[in-house]
Amino acid sequence: MLKNYIKIAWRNLMKNKFISFINLFGLTVGLTCCLLITIYILNELNFDRYNKNADNIYRIERTFLNPDDHSVSLQLGAVAPPFAPLLENDFKEVKKITRVFPAGNLTFKYGDAIFNQDNVFFAEENVFDVFDINVIKGSRDKALDEPNSVMLTEETARKYFGDADPVNKIILLNNQFNCKVTGVYKSLPSNSHWHPDVMISFNALKDSAIYGANRLRTDFGNNSFYTYLLLPDNYDPQKLESQLPAFQNRHVPPGVRFKASDFSVLTLRKLTDIHLHSATDSEIEIGGDIKRVYIFSAIALFILLIGCINYMNLSSARSALRAKEIGIRKTAGAGKGELVAQFLCESVFISWLAAILALLLTFLFLPWLNQISGQQLSMDSLWNGKIVAAIFLIPFLVGILSGIYPAIYLSSFQPVKVLKGIIPKGGGNISFRKVLVVFQFSISIILIIATIIVFQQLNFIQNKSLGFNKENVILIRNNKNLDATFDSFKEELLAKSNIKKVGRSSRVPSVRLLDSQASRIDRGDSLTPSKADIKYVVADENFIPSYGIKVIAGRNFSKDFGMDTSSFVINEMAVKALGLSSNSEAIGKPFQYGGRNGTVVGVFNDFNFESLHQRIIPLVLYESLKPNDYSFISIKISGNPSAALAQLEKTWKKFLPEVPYQFQFLDERFAELYMAENKQSGLFTLFAFIALFIACLGLFGLSAFTITQRVKEIGVRKVLGASTGSIVALISKDFLLLVIISAVVAFPVAWYAMENWLQDFAYRINLQPWVFLAAGFIAMLIAFATISLQAIKAARANPVKSLRAE
Amino acid sequence: MISLKNIFKWYNTGANRTFILKDININVQEGEFISIMGPSGSGKSTLLNVIGMLDQPNEGSYDFMGENVFALKEKQRSEIFKKYVGFVFQAYHLIDELTVYENIETPLLYQNIKGSERKAMVADMLDRFQIVGKKDLFPSQLSGGQQQLVGIARALIVKPKLILADEPTGNLNSKQGEEIMQIFKQLNSEGVTIIQVTHSEKNAEFGSRIINLLDGRVEVKGA
Repeated sequence: MLKNYIKIAWRNLMKNKFISFINLFGLTVGLTCCLLITIYILNELNFDRYNKNADNIYRIERTFLNPDDHSVSLQLGAVAPPFAPLLENDFKEVKKITRVFPAGNLTFKYGDAIFNQDNVFFAEENVFDVFDINVIKGSRDKALDEPNSVMLTEETARKYFGDADPVNKIILLNNQFNCKVTGVYKSLPSNSHWHPDVMISFNALKDSAIYGANRLRTDFGNNSFYTYLLLPDNYDPQKLESQLPAFQNRHVPPGVRFKASDFSVLTLRKLTDIHLHSATDSEIEIGGDIKRVYIFSAIALFILLIGCINYMNLSSARSALRAKEIGIRKTAGAGKGELVAQFLCESVFISWLAAILALLLTFLFLPWLNQISGQQLSMDSLWNGKIVAAIFLIPFLVGILSGIYPAIYLSSFQPVKVLKGIIPKGGGNISFRKVLVVFQFSISIILIIATIIVFQQLNFIQNKSLGFNKENVILIRNNKNLDATFDSFKEELLAKSNIKKVGRSSRVPSVRLLDSQASRIDRGDSLTPSKADIKYVVADENFIPSYGIKVIAGRNFSKDFGMDTSSFVINEMAVKALGLSSNSEAIGKPFQYGGRNGTVVGVFNDFNFESLHQRIIPLVLYESLKPNDYSFISIKISGNPSAALAQLEKTWKKFLPEVPYQFQFLDERFAELYMAENKQSGLFTLFAFIALFIACLGLFGLSAFTITQRVKEIGVRKVLGASTGSIVALISKDFLLLVIISAVVAFPVAWYAMENWLQDFAYRINLQPWVFLAAGFIAMLIAFATISLQAIKAARANPVKSLRAE
Repeated sequence: MISLKNIFKWYNTGANRTFILKDININVQEGEFISIMGPSGSGKSTLLNVIGMLDQPNEGSYDFMGENVFALKEKQRSEIFKKYVGFVFQAYHLIDELTVYENIETPLLYQNIKGSERKAMVADMLDRFQIVGKKDLFPSQLSGGQQQLVGIARALIVKPKLILADEPTGNLNSKQGEEIMQIFKQLNSEGVTIIQVTHSEKNAEFGSRIINLLDGRVEVKGA
């Protein structure tokens, strides 16, 4: 029986190659999209799952509140260092607790070679008890014990030492500290939320030249220590969380008016939630977004549905061709159930075939998808029991979904009628088919609208005036060895004609503004604490000119005023936040910030320091005497950048022969901020086109079929004098009406969805009606082109032939 | 074997009622070979479909092998039908996508007969009609007469007690038609009841009894 079904399914497939191609192609592409997106989603959902304790590991996070209204002022993924030992001491359910502290960018020297090294972490020796890290050389338990010990990934070790055994080699950290390599470990998988290339013993931080043992025990202000807890199996984290306010009040010194739990909240986040659900202001790496997972799941499902609909529509439309067979089978004794089973067999068979092709295509396209999405996805994630079962089952479901309507419809034919040749023309419920076509095109139009709007928004943020000039600014990292010689370094650079400004600052535009301190402002006769949350950047007098930031009242820092360290320059937002009525009122106001007394000497224009996802917030700049406070040097150049870069390198090598020269253009850093959206827009375009293409293929098949049914009508009309144009119009009219209805359905949905998407940007475009009309027009144009391919052929055919055939 | 009583069938066209069958009363004994004749539109095919349970009248009763057919459920009716009735059509109605072998095999698939047994039964039929050499051909590769042979083989494979043939020779030339009628006669002599609809006096003569239909009524001629 089954053999017979499959045989006839195969012969039907081969007999109508064109229609079969449309069906198979639609389902294959739909399933391929599904598979590719499934791989992506699995990868996202399995972040950090490689740890065998993944379900019991939690990260402790700290959120700062404005104590007055309890609004969130800062949400951090890390906490202060004293919390870990205190937690371990106070709560016996904490089985293990480990801290890692990102050291940022460092240099290591081995022999004559100097290496810039990213992803360096200070890590406690029990990091291996919490995370599954595969130590290949050295002792897991002892390797990070000694303060000067470091461990490297295989790749890093190879970079430094080639094939030589790295263990016990001595490398020089930042030209200052000798470190001994005590072990090598395999780098963490790509779906880990952190990727340490180098781990230095946490005990090194006890050295006061590096951090200081006392600060580690007592400083609750530096919340940069990522702290992970291992809790017992099936432990309810809320039990621990509920005790944390009291815990904080026991240990954290209270503020002037508030106890610790009023302005600081400690929470636990499951390790496996970090990647998709955590978007704190300080993440080790940029995480994923659960919203994106949802969006892409929906897209995959919709594309698959579009393919299924092609099958449904074409099969039921072409039912007339199967009518005779159904009649015969019924007179040969087939019951309705047996016929439904036969047609379902056919659709399941086709979707199985599609699934096999889809697996093949997935294999071929995955490397390419990795390239455009910047992921490292592999098909390996598919080979797990549940997923394999799903891969087997999904074609089955798809087959049933696509086949059930044609099957029920076809099997209800009455043999007496169909054998007499009374075949229901058009086949099936025509309005049902129209609804399905409208559904297909609505989805396509929504995707086109989404694509255009994503592009518009990205274009908008990349070209929006930021309130300063981000072009021609080169960033280099400040170096300790430059502290003494910075002035002559600067003079030598400025002597070159194409180097215009050299400024220093603690942070540079494009990064987040996270540091803030308490402020007081003069009100009448005394300094009064202000409630304003003002972030700060330490900057020298050349910072503002390097970026072309406008001072709109008062003045910039200036050497004319000696060491201008009691001056503050604030932005307009800060003026408002401090409750001052005008910029000029701010000038000369006594101001205290973080224990530093002085006056406001200038106000600069509000500019977008952070990415355009963030609003402009109050900001204060002040100068510092400690060269250590400056992490970046910003160099404004003019003319040919490569000449300027060459000069910069020459000067750098002269002053800092020991430090590798590294630079970055500021505008590139800004571009990186929108990388996730850029990738998303690329994928959107791809999927929109796939959806539209499959929908059009369906329309192509459907219109071809309609035309064969109307051949006689077309013939008669031509004999009566109809022009080619009027016949094309006659045929296209009905279909184009469907596309117009689709557009009407698509517009509100797309509007709602895109309005939602744009909420994530503090600076965004407004939705413009023309985008929607354009998308509708594009869909209509493509649909019309599809139909007229067939219609023109039919209209040009010699009517004598079609009439004789009848 | 078959007993039709007061069978009426009509269509409503506006206020008028058009009768296709009007008060038909027919009894058929097992082993008979009946020819139904009549001009176009006289209701011959409808009557055959009613007998074959493919169509239902508006009024009347129908006993088939002692069962009151119209009182049965759809499922039971199709069970009886599968077991006892074979159909032969004027236009052969073979499934174009299946080979000769597979076409003959089709009714067996719906009777849950085992593969090996099916093979034997189909081989038997191919033998009987001397079309073994054509078993892998598709219908489009056969002549009309050959196609009708396949059609008859397909009707016979379930060993029906009753064969209903709707103008089985209508699309054939006279020589092929003659051959088909010989086969029917042969079958009849083996005990199969046959009811055929035909236009041809000559073919009708093969039967043991002729029923003439005119405007939905049985015409009583001489006999």
